[in-house]
Amino acid sequence: MAKAIMINARDNTATLLGEAQAGERVSVVRESGEVVQEITARQSISVGHKIALGEIREGERVFKYGETIGVTTRTIQKGEHVHVHNVVSAVFPGRPIPSRQGTS
Amino acid sequence: MSQEEKMQFWGYERPDGTVGVRNYLAIVGAGNTAHHMAVQIAREVKGAVPLLLDEALLRLKEDRDRARRTVVGLGHNPNLAAVLLVGFGGGHMDPIDLAQEIVGTKKPIEVATVLDSKGFSPAIEKGLSAARHLMGKISRMQRQPVSIGHLTLGVKCGGSAGNSGLLGNVVVGRAVDTLLANGGSTIFSETPEVIGAEHLLAKRAVNDQVAQRVREVVERMEIRIRQAGEDIRGSQPTDGNLKGGLTTLEEKSLGALAKTGTGPLAGVLEYAERPSGRGLFFMDGPAGPINIMVGEAAAGAQIFTYSLGGGLYSAFRNLPGWGIGGFPVGPTISVVSNASNPRDEEEQRFFDIHCQGVLDNRESIDQVASRFLQELLEVASGKLSKAEIALPHYWVPLESYHTGPIL
Repeated sequence: MAKAIMINARDNTATLLGEAQAGERVSVVRESGEVVQEITARQSISVGHKIALGEIREGERVFKYGETIGVTTRTIQKGEHVHVHNVVSAVFPGRPIPSRQGTS
Repeated sequence: MSQEEKMQFWGYERPDGTVGVRNYLAIVGAGNTAHHMAVQIAREVKGAVPLLLDEALLRLKEDRDRARRTVVGLGHNPNLAAVLLVGFGGGHMDPIDLAQEIVGTKKPIEVATVLDSKGFSPAIEKGLSAARHLMGKISRMQRQPVSIGHLTLGVKCGGSAGNSGLLGNVVVGRAVDTLLANGGSTIFSETPEVIGAEHLLAKRAVNDQVAQRVREVVERMEIRIRQAGEDIRGSQPTDGNLKGGLTTLEEKSLGALAKTGTGPLAGVLEYAERPSGRGLFFMDGPAGPINIMVGEAAAGAQIFTYSLGGGLYSAFRNLPGWGIGGFPVGPTISVVSNASNPRDEEEQRFFDIHCQGVLDNRESIDQVASRFLQELLEVASGKLSKAEIALPHYWVPLESYHTGPIL
């Protein structure tokens, strides 16, 4: 089973600590290691990417670290991959498109 | 062990009330001639550390002032038990003038200049004799148990990608919270990283003035970049960040800020400016790890942490001069979020705290955080960090921070 971490109680996303396949159960843990939820991944989601912990409606804020990290551009279902295809920055709404490898 | 004993470390109490975690004799030189002098002297005296700084001679006033503040600030750093200032003599980095500005620390200070000794070789002879005398004096000093509240931690993260910033930075942030709760301080920097996310930092300010200073410092750097004909606002997150799962600039910045814990921002510092109180401080500065650590050390940080992420070879994460290796003013504790990919066994040689156990279901973040705090206290008490052991010398000029043109 894949594992995802929910940093703050206010968060509506968790971050994958290992890759999850479509349909795979994901165990959501807090920093203490306590399991708080189990959800099914709707798509395959890579390490470091986010999964929705519940439905997030269009235009609603996305939370990680207990803070807003962006706004949804459409309704996101529970267990869905949360990334640039359904979230934009609240500061720079122009969406960046990945094109090449980089690190920093 | 009581809670109070747990929050202590063994440090060197200095006459000005500060506490060192190392007991160095620094041979401090600003400018090329001074670098040669400092290295020649340090080579002959066991344990002496050369600090080679930029004199910013052919630069405008703002850069010259900053360079001077850096040397004076480093001279105050409590890890330096004694200081020998060397150089040609005269000018805006006159070793005698600089010594006057450090003398308030009441630490042993000596000066050797070409001008006063009437030649390079006699100046080296004078410096050598002074260095031997100082080393004899400081080698007798003993560590005493002191509160963790005397620590100022300098933090920096790098190679952020995916969940990496999430693990290592959260672990560091936890120790920062403990440090602040016990009266300690933490300094972080890297202004370019805050561009576009200044509202997130300003939100944590203790008052409106501090929030305003955050916006001013960020705007100032942005204006400078725009005057050079470039616009970096909106250039983050990078393609690599996006691939790694970071969706927005806010998310990236919050991940970087996680290493500063959850406490309020007590103040904003100019580069190499020593804070007047205790708490969490943001210091204006560039993105390079060494540049940042030099500024943090000049502001008083005795111990440093570098939290690394990304799936790079450990060799790339540890090149001397690139990051942590052998920083001469204080120990660096290296935290790495995930094991190298492909696996590189060498990384055991460089990293003090590994977070891979969280990814492998062997540990919780809480457990890694307690290991980190324990390591912080042990390294502060004299245990050598991996970087200190693996890369013992950093005998190259220390990069600081310049913002104006070279004349």
